[in-house]
Amino acid sequence: MIRWPWERAKERLSEELEAHLQMAIAERVADGEDPAKARAAALRELGNVPLIEDVTRERWGWMWLENLLRDTRYALRQLGRTPAFTATALLTLAFGIGVNLGVFQLLYAVILAELPVPHPEEVVRIHVARTPFDQSWTVSYPAYQRLRASTPDVPLMATAYAEDARLELPNRASIKASCAPVSDNYFSGLGVGPAAGRLFVQADERLGQGEWPVVLRYDFARNTFDSPQQAVGQHIFLNGRAFVVIGVAHRRFLGDIAGRAPDIWLPLALQSTGAFAFSWDSLGPGHDVSLAKPWYNQPTIFWLALTARIPPERRAAVLAHWDQVFRNDREVMTEATADPALKAALLHVKTGVAPLSENGMRKRFTVPLTLLMALSASIFLVGCLNLANLQLARLNARAHDLSVRMALGASSGRLIRQIVLEDALLVASGSACAFVLGRAASSILVRWASNRNALFTFDLHPNLPLAALGVGLMLLSLLCFSILPAVISIRNGVARAAGSRAKVAGISQTGRQRFRSNVLLGTQIGLSLLLSTMSGCFAATLVHWETVDVGMDREHVLIVRPDLHQPRYTDHSETLPALYSQIRVRLQALPGVRSAAVEMCGGIHCGWITALYVHGRNDLTDKQVHGQEDHVGLGFFSTLGIPILRGRDFSSSDTEKTQPVAIVSRAYARQLFGDADPIGQRVGYEPAPDDRKFLIVGEVADARVNGAEREAPPVVYMSINQNPAPVNSIRVRAVGDPGRLSESVRHALYEVDPALPVGEIVPLATELNGDLGTEKLLARLAGVYASLTLLLVFIGFYGVMSSRTARRKNEFGIRLALGATRGNIQMLIVGQTARILLAGTLPGVILSVLAVRAASHLLYGSVSANSLVIIAASLGLAFAGSIATLIPARRAAFADPLETLRSE
Amino acid sequence: MTEAATNRDRIVLLQGTLDMLVLQALLREPMHGYAIAQVIRSRSGEAFTVETGCLYPALHRLERQKCVESKWKLTESKQRARFCQLTALGKKQLATDQRRPLQLVRAVGAVLQPEAQL
Repeated sequence: MIRWPWERAKERLSEELEAHLQMAIAERVADGEDPAKARAAALRELGNVPLIEDVTRERWGWMWLENLLRDTRYALRQLGRTPAFTATALLTLAFGIGVNLGVFQLLYAVILAELPVPHPEEVVRIHVARTPFDQSWTVSYPAYQRLRASTPDVPLMATAYAEDARLELPNRASIKASCAPVSDNYFSGLGVGPAAGRLFVQADERLGQGEWPVVLRYDFARNTFDSPQQAVGQHIFLNGRAFVVIGVAHRRFLGDIAGRAPDIWLPLALQSTGAFAFSWDSLGPGHDVSLAKPWYNQPTIFWLALTARIPPERRAAVLAHWDQVFRNDREVMTEATADPALKAALLHVKTGVAPLSENGMRKRFTVPLTLLMALSASIFLVGCLNLANLQLARLNARAHDLSVRMALGASSGRLIRQIVLEDALLVASGSACAFVLGRAASSILVRWASNRNALFTFDLHPNLPLAALGVGLMLLSLLCFSILPAVISIRNGVARAAGSRAKVAGISQTGRQRFRSNVLLGTQIGLSLLLSTMSGCFAATLVHWETVDVGMDREHVLIVRPDLHQPRYTDHSETLPALYSQIRVRLQALPGVRSAAVEMCGGIHCGWITALYVHGRNDLTDKQVHGQEDHVGLGFFSTLGIPILRGRDFSSSDTEKTQPVAIVSRAYARQLFGDADPIGQRVGYEPAPDDRKFLIVGEVADARVNGAEREAPPVVYMSINQNPAPVNSIRVRAVGDPGRLSESVRHALYEVDPALPVGEIVPLATELNGDLGTEKLLARLAGVYASLTLLLVFIGFYGVMSSRTARRKNEFGIRLALGATRGNIQMLIVGQTARILLAGTLPGVILSVLAVRAASHLLYGSVSANSLVIIAASLGLAFAGSIATLIPARRAAFADPLETLRSE
Repeated sequence: MTEAATNRDRIVLLQGTLDMLVLQALLREPMHGYAIAQVIRSRSGEAFTVETGCLYPALHRLERQKCVESKWKLTESKQRARFCQLTALGKKQLATDQRRPLQLVRAVGAVLQPEAQL
C-alpha cells in the first residue's frame, strides 16, 4: 500500500500531541493530583486535539494537494458509481476529439505543412513553358542543362515522373516501389541531409553505370532493411537492373509533392537504360523524336519539371535571365501547332514561379478536407451538447446530496471544484484516448483517401498546431460539458432544492431548466440532421459513381498487367503481333472467358494526349484537334463491351504493310466532323501536308476510360499490330465474376511465354472504384459520423427523458389514480419529444440545405434530389428519438400508481 | 481567585510575539513543545499561558521557515518527544525580533502619555 508522506507526518503530529498530554499528566501526578483528575485537567488544557492538528497541518502548506487527492478519490468513486455515464462520456470525448485531431493532421499535412527544409519559402516550381499536348510544365534535358549552367549560383533541380518499379531483393518476393528520378543537385539544392550514407553528387549522373546509385526514403529503408544504416551499401534490383543503395534521406523528407512520397530516388541519367517508364511529352511524331534512344540529347522530348531555390528578392532578375536562355527552346515548342495566333501567344509566355504547395493534391483535397473538418467540429459539438445535457440531468439527480453538503457548510466553490475535477478526470483520460485514436484515424483516413493505384504517404508526426488543437478541444469540452452545467446547476438548482426530499423529487426542475435542456437537445438534433444529410448525400454520390454506366462492361472485365518492357520484347517488336495473337487465342480457349485483347494502356488515366488533323480541313482549332490516343489489339471493343456504332473493328488484315487505320470514339468524331459520317475520312498527326496518314474505318461509343467520375474523353484507337510496341495490359472478359479467373489466366500466360512476368491482375470494377479516393473518404467518414450522431441522439433523449419521467413518477401516479390511461401518460412524454424534434429539425433542414448547396460540386445530383436525403435523415432521427423516449415512457406508464403514491 | 479573574490578568499575545518567545525559549537548549510552554509560562510569571492550539502551529511554521529543526528523542522520564533546536537562521530572526517589543512599548507609551515625550 502506498503511504503518502503527509500520512506519516500526520501520525508524527498525533504522537507529538500525545507526548505533550502524557507529560502534562505526569507533572500533575507528580504534584500529587489524582491520575484520573490529572488526565481530565490536562485534556482540558490541551484543548480540541483534532482542531489543533488541522490548524498545524495547514502550516505545512500542502493541504491543497491533500484536498486535491481526496477530491480525486471522491471523483473516481462517483464515476465508478455511474459506469454508463462514464463510458458514454469517455467514448464521446475520445471519439469527438480523436476524429478532429485525425482530420486536422491530414489537413495539416496536405494543406498547411511546409517542406521540412531550411527556408522552404525560397523553394519554388519554375514554370517555363507548357508542353504542346499534356500542357505540363516540363522541359527537355538540353534545355535544363542550359538553364542550370546560365545561373551557377542558383540551384535549379529537375525531377521526372516515372512509373512504379519492380523491386527485387535477394530471397524475397518482389514488391512495387514508387520511384522519383531527380537531378544530382536535388538534395543539396533543397537542403536535405542524409539520415545514413550520402545523397547524390555530380558523379552519380554519369551515363552507363554498371550499378546505379539510389537513395531511399527513411521509412521505406527501415521497413525494407530494418534500419537506414543497414540499408546503405545494399545491392538491389529494380526492373531487372542492378542498383546500390548509397544513402537514406532525412527522416522527415518525403519528397517535394505532398502525399506522393517516393520510396526510391534515382538519377535522371537512368532514363538512358530504357528500363523505366517515364512520363513525357514531345512535339509529336515527325519532329525528330526517337523515344527508344536516350533522351538526354533530344531537345524535343519534354520530361523534366523544374524546381529552384531563389531568394524572393532575386527572383525577377533570375527569371528574366532564364527567359533569354530559353528563347530558342520556346521557338522550337511552337512548332507543335499550326495556329499562327497560338504560335505568337506561345512566344510571349514568360517564365514564372509557383509555390510548391500549388499541386493537384492540394487542389483536390482542400475542399473535401475542410468540409470534413467542419463535419468533425459538428460531431464534437454534438457530443459536447449531449454530455452537457446528461450532466445537467445527472446533477439534478444529485441535487439532494449537493444541497445537504452545502447545508453542512461546503462552499459552492468547493462543490463546483469537485464536480469539475470529476469531469477533468474524464476529459483527461478521454483526451489521452483521443490522441491515440487520432493517430490511428489519420492513417485510416489516408488509406481511405488513397487511390488504389497511388497510396498517399504523409508526414503524420505530431506537431505543435495539432497539440494546440488537442488541448483547445479538451478545455472547450471541459467548459461545455462540465464547468457551465455545474455552475448553472449549483447557482440555481441546489439552493432552491435544499428543502425536503419530497420537494427535491417533485418540482425541483423548473420550467427554465426544462427549457434549457430542450434547447440543448434541439440544437443536437439540428446538427445531427446536418451530419446525417451530408453522410446520406456522400453515400449516394459514391454509390452513383460506383454504378454509373461507364460505357464498358465494368463487372466482367479483368485487367492483367504483363511486363513487356524488357530487351527481349522491345528489341524485337516485329514479333509482338504474333505473341499478342497467341495470348489472345490461348486465353479465349479458357473456360469462362468470352474474349481477350491487349491494350497499350495499363489502366485508367493512361491514354496519352494526341492531335488529329483532318485532311482537307484547315479550319480546325487547337481545341478540336486534341484528344486521347490508345493502341489496342484485335477484339478490344468486344472485350471491353464498347459498342461499334459505325464502320468496322480492326481486323487481322490490318498489318504494318497495309493502310494505317484508326477508329474514333463518338466524342472525337463529333469534335472533328460534327454530325457527318467519319468513316472514310483521312487524318494525320500533323497539319497539311502530313494530315492523311490514317484512314478512319470505324466509330465506337464513348467510354469513361479516365475514371468513372470523369466525362468520357475523345479517344482515337489505333491498331497495335500496325504500330507494334509492348502493351501494358491484357483485358479479359469473363462470363461471370472475373476475379475467379485470375489464377487460370496467370497459368495460361505462363504456358504461352514462361519468361513473361505478369504483375497485377484486377477486375475493372476494382480499378475504377479504386480511383474514387475523395468520394470514398467523404462517404465513409460521413457515414461513421451519421451513425454516431444517431447513437448520440438516442442516448441524449433516453438520458433526459428517463431522468424527467423518474422525477415525475408521483405526478404520473396521481394522474393514473385520477383516471388517466397509460396511453395518455405515454402520449404526454412522447409529445414532449415530438416538440423538441420538430423544433430541432426546422433549423437543421435549413442548415442542411445550405451545406448541400455549398458542397454541391462534390455531390452528384441537384439540391432537390438531395432534399430526399434530408427528409430521410429527419425521419431517421425522429425514429431514433422516439424509440429512445418510448422506453422511459413505457416504464412510467406501466408503473403501479399505488406503489409510486405509497413511496411519497 | 476565580478562573475569570485569572483570565483577565493574562495578556493576549500579539501576532508574531509568540514566535519570538518560542525562539527565545529555545536559545539555551533544545526543548520539546511541553517544555517550551512551561518555560514561557514560568518566565513570564504565569502571565502568559501558551495555548497548545497556538504553540504547535507556531512550532511547525517555524520549522517550515527553517528557524528551528527537530529531532525525536527520549525525555528524562523516558517519554518519546520531538525536541526542537534553533538554527542559525532562527538565531538571526530572534536578534531582529528582539528589538520589536521595546519599540512597541515605547510607541504605546508615547500614545498613552504624549506630554512625557515632549
